[in-house]
Amino acid sequence: MELLFLIILIALMALALGSGFPVAFALPGSAILTIGLAGVSGFIFTGDASAFFHSSGPYEWLSAGVTNLRAVYWEPERDTLIAIPLFIFMGLMLQRSKVAEDLLLAMAQLFGRIPGGLGISVIFVGALLAATTGIVGATVVAMGLISLPSMLRNKYSPSLATGTIAASGTLGQIIPPSIVLIILADQLASASDQASSLRKSLFKESSGELSMPSVLDVTSTSAGEMFLGALVPGVVLVVLYMLYILTISLIRPNVAPAVPFEGKMDRKFWIRIIVTLIPPLTLILLVLGSILMGIATVNQAGAIGAAGAVFMGGFRLTLGNKNAAFPSILAVISVFIIFYCIGNYEMNVKAAGSWEDYFGLWLGAFGSILLTVSFVWSLIRLVRIDGILQGVMLETSKTTSLVFIILLGAAILTSAFRAFGGEELVRNFLNSLPGGFWSKFIIVMAVIFVLGFFLDFIEIAVVVVPIVAPILLADPGANITAVWLGVMIGLNIQTSFLTPPFGFALFYLRGVAPAVVKTVQIYKGVVPFIGLQLLALLIVGSYPPFVNYLPTRVNLLSENGPPPKNPKLQNCLEDYVSQQFQKNENLVKAAISDAKLLDLSDLPRNLSNDVFKAFDSAELAMDQLGKAAEAKIELEAASVVYRPKLLKVRFLEREISAIDKELKTIGVEIERLESDVNNQNFNRLENELRELDIRKSELVAQIPETWSNSYRSFKELMKKESKARQEYRRNADKSYRAPAELLLIFRDNDEYFKAFISFNKLEKLIQLDDLELAIDQLDQIKRRLQYIEGTDPVVSAISKLRRVIKKEIKKPNHNITKILGEYLKLDKSYKAQLSWRPKSKLSLQSGMEAYLSATEDTLGLRSQPQLDRKVALSLSTCRAKHEDILLNF
Amino acid sequence: MQKFNMLRGNSRLVIRLFGWNLLSFLLAFLINNYLTVVLEYPGVRSFFSSPNKLGFLQVGVYVCSSFLISYYFVFYSNRSLRKDAERIHLFNVFLIRWFFWAVLFIGITDVAIAFLRVEKFLPYFASDQVISLLNKPIFVGSYIHIPIFLIAFFIALFTRTLGFIWLALLIVLAELLIVISRFVFSYEQPFMADLVRYWYAALFLFSSAYTLYDEGHVRVDIIYAGISGRLQGLFNAIGCILLGLSTSLAIVLIAFNGKYSIINKPVMIFEVSQTGTVGMFVKYQLALFLGVFGCTMIIQFVSYFFESIADYYQEPEKRSSFTVAYN
Repeated sequence: MELLFLIILIALMALALGSGFPVAFALPGSAILTIGLAGVSGFIFTGDASAFFHSSGPYEWLSAGVTNLRAVYWEPERDTLIAIPLFIFMGLMLQRSKVAEDLLLAMAQLFGRIPGGLGISVIFVGALLAATTGIVGATVVAMGLISLPSMLRNKYSPSLATGTIAASGTLGQIIPPSIVLIILADQLASASDQASSLRKSLFKESSGELSMPSVLDVTSTSAGEMFLGALVPGVVLVVLYMLYILTISLIRPNVAPAVPFEGKMDRKFWIRIIVTLIPPLTLILLVLGSILMGIATVNQAGAIGAAGAVFMGGFRLTLGNKNAAFPSILAVISVFIIFYCIGNYEMNVKAAGSWEDYFGLWLGAFGSILLTVSFVWSLIRLVRIDGILQGVMLETSKTTSLVFIILLGAAILTSAFRAFGGEELVRNFLNSLPGGFWSKFIIVMAVIFVLGFFLDFIEIAVVVVPIVAPILLADPGANITAVWLGVMIGLNIQTSFLTPPFGFALFYLRGVAPAVVKTVQIYKGVVPFIGLQLLALLIVGSYPPFVNYLPTRVNLLSENGPPPKNPKLQNCLEDYVSQQFQKNENLVKAAISDAKLLDLSDLPRNLSNDVFKAFDSAELAMDQLGKAAEAKIELEAASVVYRPKLLKVRFLEREISAIDKELKTIGVEIERLESDVNNQNFNRLENELRELDIRKSELVAQIPETWSNSYRSFKELMKKESKARQEYRRNADKSYRAPAELLLIFRDNDEYFKAFISFNKLEKLIQLDDLELAIDQLDQIKRRLQYIEGTDPVVSAISKLRRVIKKEIKKPNHNITKILGEYLKLDKSYKAQLSWRPKSKLSLQSGMEAYLSATEDTLGLRSQPQLDRKVALSLSTCRAKHEDILLNF
Repeated sequence: MQKFNMLRGNSRLVIRLFGWNLLSFLLAFLINNYLTVVLEYPGVRSFFSSPNKLGFLQVGVYVCSSFLISYYFVFYSNRSLRKDAERIHLFNVFLIRWFFWAVLFIGITDVAIAFLRVEKFLPYFASDQVISLLNKPIFVGSYIHIPIFLIAFFIALFTRTLGFIWLALLIVLAELLIVISRFVFSYEQPFMADLVRYWYAALFLFSSAYTLYDEGHVRVDIIYAGISGRLQGLFNAIGCILLGLSTSLAIVLIAFNGKYSIINKPVMIFEVSQTGTVGMFVKYQLALFLGVFGCTMIIQFVSYFFESIADYYQEPEKRSSFTVAYN
């Protein structure tokens, strides 16, 4: 019955969308109608309103839907969505300030002379606008009005011209900052949570262990990461477009002829080109740069972009006035002041202490005030000139609302889809496909592509992604990152703008194209570009580092990047260490054996023991790393046979568990029927039961007998590898710790001598039986010593003495001799340090330094507080690949 | 033409009765929600299970509201559907302007209080007693937010702007404030992000109704674009009832359903975010925004319904609307 209502839901949705009612209400409306229908018919036919639901009842699902809807803005976790109105504001402001027009005219003159030059200039401007405004409709309209006539006049083929314009307009969807990427990031963040729990339960089922190691977990994503990830694919797409135009114009020059430039290419011309390029390039630098460098969050970058657009609008629209540039110049000056302050002063209002700090802050405040003044000035201008600002605000509100109300509506729809078991149905279908991850993935991508003919990006992103993304992300076979999936979906959704009948870019172009251009020509023109987009999809799909490298790199290099001990980094880190060893194994070995020859006799016993053991550990660690590498090779060899076996068995097991589930439901039904004594149905169910049992035993028989053995022996191999790695990590850490500590002790030697403490007073106090004061004295000494490395024995002697004194204070008669005995121990320990510290520093410091510097980028790598730049770069390359973790499951 | 309209007279009456009664239902529902949740009346449902005085009063609210509104707006002033639609739309515009002014002033006031509270500047201005009151969400809600809300009503009466569109600029400004204070002064506090979220939620929830009026909500118009205006009116009218009103009514009915519903519960306790006293005290209003969204959408859909029927009947003076640039 649920299936019937699922079909009704989809049919209603198709009908509602097809009727042309606003999507934002067609989606939730059909969901609510179906839930209502199922509730009512359940009540009429079975007396139970929740009878036709997968679980729970109609009210629960409706209120779950409304709660989902509120969740869009209720919790701070989804604050990235705030960037959407900010970027819309920025885009609309730029559109009004005629940036597109200026760019198109200038670039057409610049590129016109080469074959296909007008087409290339359109793509170039499309890419620039994509990185600033990113508004498809606006870009297509501007290009259709300005470039299309001149392309047609210069004998470009209408289909090539229109195709180029429509396709360039859609670049805004994939080149950041892009709204679809923000929405995808938001959807994927919750999808990865679901995927993570799916994978955990998969791990529990297959391995029997309760908790999954974090290394195997799903990688989530954020809007900033999506922006970074989409950057290279966006460039790939632009390059593909340009190459296409260039090739076409060379093969068939009459389709895209070169246009001779009539004006002079003098200094004035170049200045104009540069001036028109400044606004978009500045904005790209500000917005994308601040996100790329990890300085600003996506929201903050959005606000910066919006402010920048206001300045540019205020300037461009008053062009010709005497002081048109005044606010912008003021803004630039104030930004310089602020940067000067940030560069030269400690700009922290909470921690300011010195006169200099306050001066910096006041200067910064002055800069901020100047900036505010110039901003308000620009705003006032924009209000005065034909109410540009009001227009932009109104459009921003409407566009934001249109995007978000669809998001809200989809939240209710998803809840209805779950209510009728749709999610499980899709999951079972995808999981029952043979061929692992890629067959699922291709099916999903094909579905998205086909949906793109009828729906546009927001609907696809919010309706399809929550359902399929968790399944794809959870698959351990490919172990894809969320960011890669997001960019792939983004690239795919981009085609929805170009695919007739419902392609937005086509609508807009049709609206502004002259009548001589036939609609069929437009359709024909976009076909090769859809092909190029699919080609880009293929390229990015086959080489994931295109997407993953940048986000990984920025993450690893950022100030709050993961420390070298982060478990997710270890495999790559060990690869790096092995590489280093290959280069200079002998150097490291020599350093270790040199270190072993050092004379440690000056050190106290426990220290010298630790240090000596560290050298042993270093050798052991190198040994274990070799063993781990061997085990890995062995494992890889074994997996050739093991992997297909594993896949087959897991597939069979899934089928069997599905049958088990069915058996259970039939069992329940039979139980229910027995009280009703309904023979006909009873027999039918009995038959079904028997058939299922037979099928189950067939499946069970298909599991090879050798399976459990090969499973066990493979697990043994895996254990061997992971054990070798664990041993390596333990020993590597040990090999570095004690020598590094020793160096710290030496570093603090001077401090120790400076803190030279005479114990005479203490001794006297004890002898005079003034124990309270003695304790005070002790506390003072302890405080002084605590921050000096290597004073642990002294400090513990102090604590012991303090304890003894405390105990004695409570007694009526103080046992002074006992206290004095403790005191002597303290004195001895203190003096011992005075003697061995300088001696051993002299004999050991250089040796230790040599040892540590020889091992710091191999064995000591894990012990560094932060990743070294060189290491981080190597790790980014390693981490950017998708690592297959199927064998763990 | 006259005759043509006469024939339609009866069905027009039914349609207007239906639309206005939906609004009267909404009004009565909200009044009853107040009675049930704040004054702890037993609720309408209780009257039908075991008749009682207060329950009777609550049923009476529905009856009275329906009677008054039907009489005044339908029978007493017989207007064309378009005039009705415009009247309802203008009321909605006023309503949203009122909420805009409220959100604007409450946002500024509350963020100022939060700043003074977090930076411990309050002792310079206020006595210890006042300070401890300003740490209590219930006090701030009842004695600061609600008065501002009432003042906003009068400002909305005497202003003519759409209002909500300024929220688009306000979120830019509020986020810009974060940027400056973070990069120049290394100062960042939860209440700053709260302010952005507060206005941003208001922006898209408040502007939805006007977006519907201005044909801003995106349609899949493969078929729709090709059919006559009359048929479009019919499609829209059916869609209004089955899709639009069903959605917005479901939201309102569920979100206001009883004391523990997702609007009433946070509002009754003046819920604040997890950051507590270092944040703004407006989280309960974010819950309320959902109700504002639902109610303004119901009102707008009634207006849109009248207009669509007018299109279907081909009443004169069709409002020209155009599709907007779309991202």
